[in-house]
Amino acid sequence: MPATRLDLLDPADVARLGGIEIVAEGVVEGFLAGLHRSPFRGFSVEFTEHRAYQPGDELRYLDWRILARSDRLFVKQFEEETNLRAMILVDASRSMAWRGAPERLTKRAYADRLAAALALILLRQRDATGLVTFDEEVRQVIPARVKAGQWTRLVRGLLDTPDGRGTAAHAALQRLTALLARRGLVVLLSDLLFDRELALVALRYLRHRGHQVIVFHLMDPAEVELAGPPEVRFTDPESPASVVVRPRELARAYAATVQREVAAWRAACRRHGIAYHHVQTDLPFGMALRLLT
Amino acid sequence: MSFLHPLALFGLAAAAIPALLHLLHRRTPPELAFPPLRYLSEAERQSARRLKLRHLLLLLLRTALIVVIVLAAARPLVPVRGGGEHEPTAVVVILDNSPSSGAVVDGRPVLDHLRVAARGSIARTSTADRVWLLLADGVIRAGGREALLASADSATPDWRRLDLVQAVARAARLVHAEPLPGREVHVLSDLQRTALATGHADVPPGVRVLSLAPARGRPAANRGIASASVAEGAVLVAVTGSDGGEAAPLTVRIGTRDVGRALAAPGAGAAVSVALPPQRTGWWVGEAALEPDELRADDRRPFVWRVAPPARVASGPAAGPFLAAALSVLRDARRVGEGRDVIVGEVPAGSTGRWVVQPSADPALIGQANRALAARDVPWRWGAAGTPGRLVSRELEQIAGTQVTRRYRLEPTGSGGGGGGDVLATVNGEPWLVRAGDVVLLGSRLDTAWTGLPAAPGFVPFVDALVNRVVAGAAAVEVAEGTPRVEFHVRGADTIGATVFALDARESDLTPATPELVAAAFGPDALVLNDARLAAERFAGTRRADASALLLAMALLLAAAELGVATLTR
Repeated sequence: MPATRLDLLDPADVARLGGIEIVAEGVVEGFLAGLHRSPFRGFSVEFTEHRAYQPGDELRYLDWRILARSDRLFVKQFEEETNLRAMILVDASRSMAWRGAPERLTKRAYADRLAAALALILLRQRDATGLVTFDEEVRQVIPARVKAGQWTRLVRGLLDTPDGRGTAAHAALQRLTALLARRGLVVLLSDLLFDRELALVALRYLRHRGHQVIVFHLMDPAEVELAGPPEVRFTDPESPASVVVRPRELARAYAATVQREVAAWRAACRRHGIAYHHVQTDLPFGMALRLLT
Repeated sequence: MSFLHPLALFGLAAAAIPALLHLLHRRTPPELAFPPLRYLSEAERQSARRLKLRHLLLLLLRTALIVVIVLAAARPLVPVRGGGEHEPTAVVVILDNSPSSGAVVDGRPVLDHLRVAARGSIARTSTADRVWLLLADGVIRAGGREALLASADSATPDWRRLDLVQAVARAARLVHAEPLPGREVHVLSDLQRTALATGHADVPPGVRVLSLAPARGRPAANRGIASASVAEGAVLVAVTGSDGGEAAPLTVRIGTRDVGRALAAPGAGAAVSVALPPQRTGWWVGEAALEPDELRADDRRPFVWRVAPPARVASGPAAGPFLAAALSVLRDARRVGEGRDVIVGEVPAGSTGRWVVQPSADPALIGQANRALAARDVPWRWGAAGTPGRLVSRELEQIAGTQVTRRYRLEPTGSGGGGGGDVLATVNGEPWLVRAGDVVLLGSRLDTAWTGLPAAPGFVPFVDALVNRVVAGAAAVEVAEGTPRVEFHVRGADTIGATVFALDARESDLTPATPELVAAAFGPDALVLNDARLAAERFAGTRRADASALLLAMALLLAAAELGVATLTR
């Protein structure tokens, strides 16, 4: 029922329903109900035994050989592995605390909820999941675990991380590479407002170490289409820099610049085997998660 | 350029509004946080040149838009060639209705053409103009447009000649004195070359002289009677006209009776003499007539002469042998009689009687003669001996050119030194034959030792004229310009002279002036224009059109351009 699918609702509307936990659980429930299968199938599941078929079981798990030999319905049982280590990196810099309109979530709020939902999915699959928050420095590190209460710790870690200052992400990312000794999945949630080449050095290193890297490039819709008063002084929340522009006359050039920047990130990530997803903060969480499938 | 509403030009200050708005607007922009400032800076850096050009273009367009709208509100008047209104102008329209304007060219009197052009000039004037109309009578008419139009419409060929050079000079001075922006003289004439041959008009700077060009093609081969005068029983008729005129039959009439015919060809110095039948004593009027041609006004000319009774002449030994012989011949021919009406001598004695006096052969008697002249209040005297030379005389053509070898200078004795009476002949520019009252003085004796006159064929006619006409001094026939007619001068019951009115002989030459002659007469800036160009050039120096509509259209274009730049370059 679309009305109950929180993963497909406007993120801001969903966020008004409650805290991160409620939102993430609602989103994950809706997301998994829509998928009918695990988004991460194939790298964490192993066959264990058969059992008799019961109505409601998925037909894809029917053992067709037994059916052919004995004319009885059995389904395969799988044992989830716990050897996948996922680490979610959330950018907590000052720029992430910005939103283009009061009715929208800040990029940080969006990233927190998306990270919580993603962690819940992973933990349900019994993948060890951890969290790192950073701005200029690494603020929170919650090692990847699969034990009970891990998700609550992750959510607490997100909530306990305040909005930071400037972003010098490449330094933080380089420090993170030392923390991620075992190969696994690394998911970066950031607005990527830092030096692309320096950040790519760290991401490339992770990739070199055997990590599967996924980058969510978060942008507020107001950062994609320039708008505002006839003339305005825009200031950088992370530095004293400012510039006076007329948004209407610069909108076209700005949109082109943003498109070029996104294209540059996408091309650079593809070149290094990094999955890149450009996500605007008005995109329903379910749609953002679907990008991973 | 001038403006109908110049106060509106204060609105030009509004042209600064775009720039001021730009500056004021820039001072207090609102401040907003915007994280992707690096993208913004990059976009601005890449668009800086385009934006600067756009801003400049928009500033220019908006400023120009305001300027154009303000100018349109001020209603500017710009110079134009055709159409439009002109600034106040002083203009003299010279309508040359001299006799030659009566010539018929292409089946239409020239004056009709000139009148239409004059109407065109006058009709274009407004109440702000000062307009005058100058006709061949020389009167400069001022007045309203309607009155002047009526005057131009009612103009007919006049009998008076119009000296265009003088007319233009007068008109130019008149308009130059007017404190108006425009000053023009419109010359609507057939532009006869003879009307422009008397020097050049002083046209002050700023006065435009526009002349209507004469009709193209060869001028009419007109013939006209230049003069007709009676002398010694015959009428001498001179015929003039345009170049190329052929000989034409000439008829001489007295009253309604044809008394003679001849074939007369036009040309300088060409004249025919037609003998007149003897008439009784008295004044007689005749007429010389040519066959009708394109200009009828000069085809007839009256003449008048007086048939007087023979003078009774007395002469003594002092007259000399040649003069005595001539008088004897005249007596035989009954041209003179015996008596003392006229006395020929050396010293005028007494205070009455008509005298023809010649200097004494004895220089010692000159003083006595001078005293006698003074006693008769004759304002002339014999002076020192003069240099030899040839006689020059317009009134006595029979003696012109005759050599004078010995003479006394005739000197005036009046208080002003100008003498009195008439100088009838000169030698080397000095009087040789003068008439003062009843006395005629000769500078030389009528003797071959003094002059070759006694040996010349014209000597007897000269003596005849001297005693019958010159010394009488009453049979003067004057020639004046006017409607062809004869007017007699009377004193008491006596007719003492006559004036023959006729048109000026120069009117008969219909040859138009060359452009060079026009330029020499009216100045190099004078324009000679055909009808169409004259209509275009009238008041062109000050002609103005309201450019506000054009400016508003330009404002619309600027507004569209501004909209386009503001929209398309965003």
